[in-house]
Amino acid sequence: MVIREPELPAQDPIVSRSTSGIMLICALLLTLTLAWSLYDEAFGQRPWKGIQQQFVSRYTRYLKSIKAQAGKTEAEVKESPEYQTLDGEAQAALEQVKPQIAEIDHKVTQIQSELDAVTDPFQNQRGKLTVINYNVEISSGGAKERYRRQAQAKRAELVEVDLPAADGSGKAPTQKMNYEQLEKLFNDLRDEKARLLGQKADLLKVPTELGKKRDDYLKHYMTGLGPSQIDGLIRKMDQFDYSILPHQISVNEFNIVDRCEVCHVGIREPLDLRAEDLAPGGPGKKPDSLARAFVSHPNREILQIHSPDRFGCASCHWGNGRATTSEVKGHGRHKFWLWPMFEKENTEAGCQQCHAKDRVTQGADTLNLGRDLFYQRGCMGCHRYEGFDRETDALGSTRQSISQLEDQITANQKQIRLDEAPPEGTSDEDAQKMLAQSEALKVTNSILAARIDQLNLQSKYLMQDQKKVGPNLKDVRLKLRKEWIPVWLKNPQGFRPGTKMPTFWRFASTDDAGPHMRDADGEQQIQAIAAYLWQDSFEGTIPTQQRGDAGHGKELFENRGCLACHSIGDGDNKIGGTFAANLQKVGEKANFDYVVRWIHNPRERFAPYCPKEKRDLTPDDYAKHNLPYVFDTELHSRCPNDGAELQVQNMTVMPNFRLSETDARDIATYLFSLSSPPGYESAAFMDSPELREKGQALIKQYGCAGCHEIKGFEEEQRIGKELTVEGATPIERLDFALLTKKAEEGIDPLNLHGASETTPNAPPKEEKPWYNHKGFFEHKITEPSIYDQGKEKDAKDRLRMPRPYLTPEWRNALTTFLLGSVGAEGANVPQSLFYSPQDSRRQDIQNGWWVIKKYNCMGCHQVQVGQRSVVMDLPFYQTPEGKDLLPPRLTSEGARVDPSWLLRFLHDPSLSGEKTPAENAAISNAEQAAKPATTPQPSPSASVSPAAKSSPTPAATAGHLKAQPGLDRNGVRPYLKFRMPTFNFSPNELQTLVRFFMAMSGQQEPYIKEPLQPLTEQEKLVARQMFTSGTPCLKCHITGEPTHDAKAIAPNFLLASERLKPEWTFRWLLDPSQISPGTAMPTGLFRKDGDRWVINLPNPPASANEYHDDHARLLVRYMMLMTPDEQRRLLATAPVAPAAAPQPQKAAQMTLRRRRDETTFNRTRRAPRATLAESRSARTVARPGM
Amino acid sequence: MKQTKVWLVLTLAFSLLILAAACGKAPENAESGTTPATGGKTYSGDVGSITGSIAYTGAAPAAKKIDTSADPVCGQKNPNLSTEDTVVNNGKLANAFIYIKDGAATDGTKIGDYSWTPPTTAVTLDQNGCHYRPHVLGIMTNQKLTITNSDPTQHNIHPTPKNNPEWNQTQPNGAPPIEKTFARSEVLIPVKCNQHPWMKSYIGVLKHPFFAVSGEDGSFTIKGVPPGTYTVAAWHEGGATGTEKTMQVTVAANGSAKADFSFGEATASGNPGLQMMPALDVPMFGRH
Repeated sequence: MVIREPELPAQDPIVSRSTSGIMLICALLLTLTLAWSLYDEAFGQRPWKGIQQQFVSRYTRYLKSIKAQAGKTEAEVKESPEYQTLDGEAQAALEQVKPQIAEIDHKVTQIQSELDAVTDPFQNQRGKLTVINYNVEISSGGAKERYRRQAQAKRAELVEVDLPAADGSGKAPTQKMNYEQLEKLFNDLRDEKARLLGQKADLLKVPTELGKKRDDYLKHYMTGLGPSQIDGLIRKMDQFDYSILPHQISVNEFNIVDRCEVCHVGIREPLDLRAEDLAPGGPGKKPDSLARAFVSHPNREILQIHSPDRFGCASCHWGNGRATTSEVKGHGRHKFWLWPMFEKENTEAGCQQCHAKDRVTQGADTLNLGRDLFYQRGCMGCHRYEGFDRETDALGSTRQSISQLEDQITANQKQIRLDEAPPEGTSDEDAQKMLAQSEALKVTNSILAARIDQLNLQSKYLMQDQKKVGPNLKDVRLKLRKEWIPVWLKNPQGFRPGTKMPTFWRFASTDDAGPHMRDADGEQQIQAIAAYLWQDSFEGTIPTQQRGDAGHGKELFENRGCLACHSIGDGDNKIGGTFAANLQKVGEKANFDYVVRWIHNPRERFAPYCPKEKRDLTPDDYAKHNLPYVFDTELHSRCPNDGAELQVQNMTVMPNFRLSETDARDIATYLFSLSSPPGYESAAFMDSPELREKGQALIKQYGCAGCHEIKGFEEEQRIGKELTVEGATPIERLDFALLTKKAEEGIDPLNLHGASETTPNAPPKEEKPWYNHKGFFEHKITEPSIYDQGKEKDAKDRLRMPRPYLTPEWRNALTTFLLGSVGAEGANVPQSLFYSPQDSRRQDIQNGWWVIKKYNCMGCHQVQVGQRSVVMDLPFYQTPEGKDLLPPRLTSEGARVDPSWLLRFLHDPSLSGEKTPAENAAISNAEQAAKPATTPQPSPSASVSPAAKSSPTPAATAGHLKAQPGLDRNGVRPYLKFRMPTFNFSPNELQTLVRFFMAMSGQQEPYIKEPLQPLTEQEKLVARQMFTSGTPCLKCHITGEPTHDAKAIAPNFLLASERLKPEWTFRWLLDPSQISPGTAMPTGLFRKDGDRWVINLPNPPASANEYHDDHARLLVRYMMLMTPDEQRRLLATAPVAPAAAPQPQKAAQMTLRRRRDETTFNRTRRAPRATLAESRSARTVARPGM
Repeated sequence: MKQTKVWLVLTLAFSLLILAAACGKAPENAESGTTPATGGKTYSGDVGSITGSIAYTGAAPAAKKIDTSADPVCGQKNPNLSTEDTVVNNGKLANAFIYIKDGAATDGTKIGDYSWTPPTTAVTLDQNGCHYRPHVLGIMTNQKLTITNSDPTQHNIHPTPKNNPEWNQTQPNGAPPIEKTFARSEVLIPVKCNQHPWMKSYIGVLKHPFFAVSGEDGSFTIKGVPPGTYTVAAWHEGGATGTEKTMQVTVAANGSAKADFSFGEATASGNPGLQMMPALDVPMFGRH
């Protein structure tokens, strides 16, 4: 009822207005909010719950589906005769001891029941006694005595014990015992029980061991999990904990909290889960994205090394390990998250984060490829990357140290002068002090001088090892066709597809698609650069060469190992390596004479360079000091003017193949037969001095000297940005230029991930934003010019980075490398997690990789298990015969060879040893012959048409090139056509390599040879007979005897003592295929007889039967102690080809045979080698006198 | 924002889904028993055969005498040892390996999907007179291969397979036979002897027994073939890694299909009267 009060205003809001509507809405809103928040709390914030439920149901279903099969495999193993035997043995052994066990068990049960009966009364009494004794201890006087008597009474007291009867009747007649009896009975029973149990254990020992053997067998031969294990997993799923905590990784030490496994539940499951297994429709059906998220980690090995419990997940993969509310957040694909998860193809960027100091990281192939490319393709010519340009960096710091030490010596000298002439009025005492000080300073100076000596030596070595990616452009006049240079600059990829030389889009003109960003004066820039190079080049002559035998040259080119680095052929017919240039079109660009000289010895420099005077020396510099114009890395490496270490060789990694001049000429002839120069446009402008000046500025601007040696630019610094931590550059500081918006919208002008590439069957690609580091790097290295497009800039400010040649795989590898290059600042883990091995073994390995990769050792050799060399995949080596011709496998080199031998071998793979005086004389004769400019002007090789080779005239000038030490000689394997070339490693690199091989095989350094027991006469006899019977060793191993060696295919035993390690040799004899699969050395030469290995022959020589030690070890000793006399003796008895007249040969084989004979001739008679080479050259060199 | 929405919808969908899954428990076990039956299927019924002959067109390369000076024993035992890579008699090629490469029986089962038990008898590869006898042989997977040395000298047997493990075993004069098996099919495995580089043999390993080696007269017969349409291949060692030719053949129950091949200069197709595909030049190793 409402009482109206008229005084009140008609419009009283209290009565006239109702807030119930608002209240209702608010209440509804509140309820909704509450509902929403409850919902959000339960589901919105916990999307992973549903995901986990999915996993559990799918995984359980999968486990059930494989259980039957698992049971079957287990049953199969159990049915195998081996298992049956083992099981039978185990059962039998158990059966055998069963009665005894039963008896013991029976006894033990009985004793136990007695013990049970005794224990309580005994312990009762003992407890009471303890109390009384305690009272004795604490009381005094009469009380003490009283308690003592009480104790005695207690001991004598008889207690009732219900001891069970021994007959097992179950009756337990009551007995009365005093404490003594009780104690004895208790102890006796206890001891007896222990004795019986020990007996039982002894009896069970054999059956238990057999049972374990059987179970181990099952474990070994069961593939996958057994049914009981699968049941365990299903149970685990039944009890699955749907929450975060049990699935979270937390590493306090490194502040890592990763919840990736909250959704990726299958990552560490013991089964290899594939997406198909967990498909929504059941195992084997089409997987969805959840199924793909549930798979187990694809690389368990890496999880073992980097246990997630210690490293977490995001440390390697990046992403936001803590986020659980959405996939986007968890994967860190949020603009405010600094470490977005790496794309799948760039996963190995995560390795680089911590392994930045590695040259090779095991298992990270993409990353390793990225490092290789950065090194080999010349990126580091412009961009510094810490650790990459090792020699140059070290050389800089060495030179700096030298100058600091020199300054200190000068300062000390000044002090010495002062100290030795004390001012007037100095007391004797002070004068003596000063003299003592001056003396000390003199000694200090001599110590400093010694350090400078060492540093000088270091700088010599470093200069020897310093290489350039591109060729020496001081040689252009000697090497190239003048007119070809502008053609090359204009479009290097056009001339030689895949070349390392990048396209300088600012002046290059290319026909390929893509933005054309050429400068307006592009053509002039080319001319200017060409003019500078042409005018600032060595002037002089190199020996002219006659064309040789192209057929033989082809054979050499394919056999000697050229294709490990170089490729030949074009398009799909290309074969060979990508480490060095494709040589298909050398004939179009180069001077034949120069190429012959280069093949003969690529390190032979035209003139030495003095870093102190910053110029190339001339013969006059030497003449001034009455020195012959001789420079080499050994005795003639110093500047005649100022003693500075010179650059005496071409800074190329190409080694010297120790080819004769004739062979070098044949190879060059072959290469020149592949193409002939077209008519080039005249390039007279290259002689213009004005253009030269402009060219100089351009060369500086474009940083050509980063990769090439160019006159006047020897000390030029890198022009590019340092990239050591480029991956950590804030995204705002990556210059997307005008493309930022397009990148954010996902519009890709280069269409890098278009449907046509890499994944043809991928679902139609939606536009994917590429405004991120990956997108920036990919676009930058693919087409650097796009970031200059549409910009208004002065010429000098325009981007300079050229466009490198990259395959999609290479692009991805380089991007991966750059993405991971974040340094300590940009890393998402503390630096203490970075990999920096402290043990010398791992350091030796990493140091070694730099050298191994630098010289492309893996082009010919297998250095790592599982790695394929380039030559292994060449078409010539696919047949069973071809495989026998491949270079040796080096996977166990450190275990195989003596390190000091290896050092010598790497220094001189011909193993021709110290030069004899006669050889030295021959070499210096050759030097004399090469010195005077009697050789005619080098002719443009175009004029030497292929026809010229058919009309040779006797040579007027012969033996132009320097003598070749170790000519045509393979030190260890002369039977191989491949040749281990001379790399002219400095002692630094020699040591690094030796240590690398030793470390790779886990060998101790230094190596101290175990002494070998000398052979008794009897042992010699036995060994000799074993050597020549069965599979006679000398049938395949060379001996140095030419007729015999013509058919031999294995190394000389005379090398064994210096070269091989006995333990390795022993293992090699037993089963060589374990060490080098596919080797020609057969398995089964020995068989096991008890503990020793005996020769595996149906009818072994009688002496061997009487020899009761290990036969294989005897042979190792015999081999290690082999002498030339002993070997001759063996040859005489060996049932192999008698050293008679050579068999009639077919015409086609004659040449080959003759060469081989010459090789062996060179090997056996060392001294006249050089002169022989000379005379051969004289015989075969013939050129028209023009 | 868009993302959260998507997630909301997703989670809602999920929770419903899980709810549904929780309520309807039944379908889980229904699918668990469906493991695909692999192997085990054997063929029984009428069979036919494939016969044919291998022709060699053009002039056959003459056999060359082998220089056995590396081991005089070989020269003594077999003074006329010569190359065996192309043995042609009256225009017919011996030592070609013919096998069913592909195809299905009439019921649609692929020939490789049947399981065939390998014979318990071993195939013998003998070294007699410093060459392998036979020069080409066929064997089933897991069938025993016995290698004997009948020479008064030592050999080492060195097969260089791609799909099976490689081994290189010495066998001195008088040594007991070596027994080996190959677990995977491979056509063909070259066998060499490192001590006698001229010694060569080729082993064709197949999962089924339908293969043959052409005889001195170039003829071959493959028996016991289930009726069906097959790709028959003939392989011969000429060329760097061998040459293989194929043709399509239909085998009728109790019938005999003909498959003639031709090697040599002109790669003529075989008998035109039969249903066949043009002969193809396929290098052998490219496929394995």
